Amino acid sequence: MNELANSVKWVWAVSVLLQVTLFALLFLRSNFKRLPVLTLYMAMNLGQAASILYLYANRHLSAQTYDLVPWVSEAVTLVFQALAASEAIHLFLRPYRGIWGLTWRTLSFICAVLLAYIVKHTAGNYHWARLEADRGYHLIFACAVIGCFLLMRYYSVAVPTPFKLLLAGFCFYSCTMVLVNTVFQDMLYSKVTGYEPIWQFASVFSFALVQVVWLVALYQPLPADRRRVIPSDSLSQELAPEIDARLRMLDKTLARLWKFEVRS
Amino acid sequence: MTLSFLAFSGIAVLLLLLLIVLLRDPERHAWLESDRDAAESGHRHVTFFAQIRQALSTEDHEFLAKRGSQRLARRVAKERRKIVLAYLSHLRNEFARLWKLARVIAAMSPEVAAAQEIARFRLGVAFYLRYELIRLKFILRRGPIPELAAVSEVVSTLAIRLETAMSSLGERAALAAEMASTLNRGGLHTR
Repeated sequence: MNELANSVKWVWAVSVLLQVTLFALLFLRSNFKRLPVLTLYMAMNLGQAASILYLYANRHLSAQTYDLVPWVSEAVTLVFQALAASEAIHLFLRPYRGIWGLTWRTLSFICAVLLAYIVKHTAGNYHWARLEADRGYHLIFACAVIGCFLLMRYYSVAVPTPFKLLLAGFCFYSCTMVLVNTVFQDMLYSKVTGYEPIWQFASVFSFALVQVVWLVALYQPLPADRRRVIPSDSLSQELAPEIDARLRMLDKTLARLWKFEVRS
Repeated sequence: MTLSFLAFSGIAVLLLLLLIVLLRDPERHAWLESDRDAAESGHRHVTFFAQIRQALSTEDHEFLAKRGSQRLARRVAKERRKIVLAYLSHLRNEFARLWKLARVIAAMSPEVAAAQEIARFRLGVAFYLRYELIRLKFILRRGPIPELAAVSEVVSTLAIRLETAMSSLGERAALAAEMASTLNRGGLHTR
């Protein structure tokens, strides 16, 4: 395991400091009660940083340990990242039961399709398996968050700013990780000597940026959960079919108009 | 540069751009603002169809060309065409309002059927595509007025029946008001 470059050490120190501040802020503003999984995710990040620090401080460990620990801790952290993002989405969608049901079904479908595509795309590429898995995960994750934002926009559900910033932070980090891993694999690895510090710096710096965004998001307590009056099924049963039928009629009329235009 | 590099970096950049667009507040469409007054005063654009048909009647054009000059007839026809295009645009706005109302109802419903939502989404996309094609053709040459009458009638009936249905839900008047204000505000708010 090589020594970390000075620039990487600095940005890493700043990132850890930001993580500690954020972790403390979650408790100070009592946001940990509503975001327990995010709090756990932050704890995981700090644990990961501590484990890497331990590896760099102890030079007598086996090569396998140096190889395995960072990736295992990364995998565990990524699982908690997905859970934390789901928790945030569930929290602001709780008043919209139907939309929440539709959202998680849609996102599961998107994730399954992307997973199948990525497995097919990377099959046999064992040399890059871990990096490919990491990139694939981030790609799926970013697509899921964007899909969620699109659904919210379509249904005119206003996402409260703290949740919006939290999800944007997750998405931004995943997108930059896809970019960083792609550039690393396709350009730096074979063409640039001493590529590792560049890759490390880019990864840690993007994560530090996300921490700043999250600090802004969680600086205040989260907005109170306003329970919406959810009407019984009868409202949608009365109105929705009526609207749908009329929208269809309108569309058919336009279709006839189009045919008329083509003929004339 | 490999295909994989281009594909992955392209998707990542595209997602970042999409994120920036989606983080911005939804634009308040001008048509929603302008349409609100008409909706609140109980008038719908579709009710002016008779005047629009009159504006494009060939009799008027022939009369002007015969009694006045060709130049005057062309000028009047041009002005009237502008009015018809504006009218067509308002018809689309009526559709958009109803489409949005359907989505608001879905958002507030305890159960949302994915198949129904997908069908409605496809319907909306198809409608807008057709509308744009028809509008384009209408801009290029004279449009088919009798068919416009049918469109107008459907929108008008839909608006009236919806209003009746909404008002019949007396005990849910507060909810209906909230939905209407949501439509005008351009979003549902949880805060």
